[in-house]
Amino acid sequence: MVSGTFVEVAAPARNREAGTAGTAPASRESGWSRIRRLAPPYLYLVPAVVLLVVWTYQPLAQTFVLSTYSWNLVPSTPMVDVGLGNYERLLGTPELGRAVWRTVVVILGMLPFTVVIPVAVALLTRRVRGRAQGVYRALVFAPMLVAPVAGAAVWQWLLDPSAGAVNRVLGTDVNWLNTASTAQWSIIVITGWHVVGFAVLVVTAGLAGINPDYAAAAQVDGASRSQVTRWVTLPLLSPTLAFLALMTVLLSAQWTFPLIDTLTQGGPVSSTTNLYYLLWEYGFRSHDAGLAAAAGVLFFLGFIVVAALLTRLAARLSHHDD
Amino acid sequence: MKRTLLAACAATLLLATSACGLGSESTGSEGPVSRVPELKPDQKVSIVFESYNFGQAGAWTDTFNELIAAFEKQHPNISVTAQKPQGNSANPATDTISSLQSQLTAGSPPDVVQLGFSDLDFTVNQLKALPLDDLVGKDAVQANFDGEQYPYAESARTLGDWNGKTYGVPFVFSTPMLYYNKQLFTQAGLDPENPPATWAEVRDAAKTIQQRTGKGGAYVDCLTKAAKDWCFQALVRSNGGRVLSEDRSTLTFAEEPSVEVVRVMQDMVKAGAMPNRTQMQAVESFARGDLGMILESSAIQGTFLKGAGDRWELGAAAMPSFDGKQAVPTNSGAALFVFSKDAAKQRAAWELIRFLTSERAYTTIATKIGYLPLRTGLVDDPDGLKQWAGENPYLEPNLKQLEHLEPWVSMPGANYLQIRDGMMQAVENAVYQGADPAESLRSVQEEATGLMQGGGK
Repeated sequence: MVSGTFVEVAAPARNREAGTAGTAPASRESGWSRIRRLAPPYLYLVPAVVLLVVWTYQPLAQTFVLSTYSWNLVPSTPMVDVGLGNYERLLGTPELGRAVWRTVVVILGMLPFTVVIPVAVALLTRRVRGRAQGVYRALVFAPMLVAPVAGAAVWQWLLDPSAGAVNRVLGTDVNWLNTASTAQWSIIVITGWHVVGFAVLVVTAGLAGINPDYAAAAQVDGASRSQVTRWVTLPLLSPTLAFLALMTVLLSAQWTFPLIDTLTQGGPVSSTTNLYYLLWEYGFRSHDAGLAAAAGVLFFLGFIVVAALLTRLAARLSHHDD
Repeated sequence: MKRTLLAACAATLLLATSACGLGSESTGSEGPVSRVPELKPDQKVSIVFESYNFGQAGAWTDTFNELIAAFEKQHPNISVTAQKPQGNSANPATDTISSLQSQLTAGSPPDVVQLGFSDLDFTVNQLKALPLDDLVGKDAVQANFDGEQYPYAESARTLGDWNGKTYGVPFVFSTPMLYYNKQLFTQAGLDPENPPATWAEVRDAAKTIQQRTGKGGAYVDCLTKAAKDWCFQALVRSNGGRVLSEDRSTLTFAEEPSVEVVRVMQDMVKAGAMPNRTQMQAVESFARGDLGMILESSAIQGTFLKGAGDRWELGAAAMPSFDGKQAVPTNSGAALFVFSKDAAKQRAAWELIRFLTSERAYTTIATKIGYLPLRTGLVDDPDGLKQWAGENPYLEPNLKQLEHLEPWVSMPGANYLQIRDGMMQAVENAVYQGADPAESLRSVQEEATGLMQGGGK
């Protein structure tokens, strides 16, 4: 749902307030000059706020409104006010609970690809010197540049049950994408392959931000390389890792969407239908705008809670190099 | 203080703007559709034709581009923009409704749209396709069915009707055909000139093929959600059941005849006679020569013939029956509907429909794609399709099945897709994932009945 990123903007410093405080007491100031004094920072903000309202908050408010209506997205059909009916219906379907569980599985399955592998790769490529380092990083990052749908087509051939390379290498005859027990894992691995390069990039940037003096100091004290990694590098990397974990939790289900849409369409038998795909099916396959909006609102609130918990957790667990 | 004021302003702004732009709350009552005048000789019109055939490269797109070019030549004042439905499904035919819906929401629907028969109820009652009987007159519509020389097959004429009025002109469709690989039949020691005629025989032949050649046995392309339900309905009808009662008020797909159909198919999967494949995988693997038999629409025949090339020979037979019962084929495919708002465009749209369903167009469509020539007389016309029909052994079983043809029934109400998808998902779950057929169909039917009775929207 929420794909934009929020940038925290520091409150504008009130220099003028401080500068004029001595000459004109606030109590005697006329209304107009008061406005003129206070307006500029808000005026600077207006363009950004207007865009934010138009593109983010207004649709959000519309979603809230829509979630109390029953409407099939056809302009000539009337919208019927059903109050909380959509929410009742949504919470009454067993499909929702299953989709939540599948989303959790996706998130857990994605964590190795967004945290564990990137850390290993970034630490290893750091030891490679010279041009080879760039080559390695480029190789790892390359899948990110492949369009998801194009990547999906290639994977489809690789996973083909009768002619696919995967089955030939493993000597199996599994229909990976059309078997309820393997489809979800196939999607996770393909999504992981796709985003691992991005995660490596983030970790590499995190490593570059760590002052090498710490490691040098530890080595002077006789710490081995693995000890330096364990007790110096990783703790200092923890804010980066927390960021990646947060991204994974909030965005995994969205990353899988194009792959699910091209490879399995939520199937077989809903085994790859996670929250986002379910929402999309309600809205744009069943044309049940109200139900989809209600689902959107619930996910929005749910993810706010999850995001708040994670940020708090991250703040507590992370070491900062202050 | 200032902060709260700002927040209040923002909130008011949100509320003020959020209500608008979502859709009308009034009933979209439309006046009766009035007769559209003929186009004046110098009147230039441009229309948009949306068809899923443009989403499939190769024979489909080429054939349709050829037809549109011929139409523009015949009607120099009408220019046609052809487009495929918006969306990126592997099968563009599944994007038709959502694409049309978003264009209707935006206020500029395409003028002529090719929509599946499975969407008929929704197309007429929710999307408000224009009744052709009112638009150009019942006489004109019937005259088009009668044609210049060869009339439509009797069973095909009314497929796009709703409550006695014609809304859509049936355009391209097929009946379910059993395509088989003659080479695999020979390799497995089966008689390639004597294809199975019942499902029991299909099962035995499939098992033999699987065991002796190591290739897949048989695949029925209407047991998954993605494949939709057209030939599943044919299977159920062939076994004496229906998925929906005749008065369209009750769902009946969990009754014994349907359950038995699902069980027969499930047994084939369990016995290794039917491989677990998605629709696309099955079509590709049959075209490659890795599958013995496939129950499929003749729309894919071109793909099969191309895949076969010189390497193997394609055979075709009628849809198999259940022991001792008459097989009842249903039609796949789509009809052409008009959605234009402007009178001139409506008239131009009708001209396009007339052209696309003419003798000449069917000659092209049948030879290049493999869809049935709905003007069946064409196959006896030496200037028409006679020669082609003689060279094409795949046509005869398909044409013959028109005699017993029953319509592919669309599911009722605004939630029809949820009902159809739910049903097919239950079938898929039982056939390929081993769920109990009776139980999975029953639970879905219960849920879907709730949707039908206004429990939903």
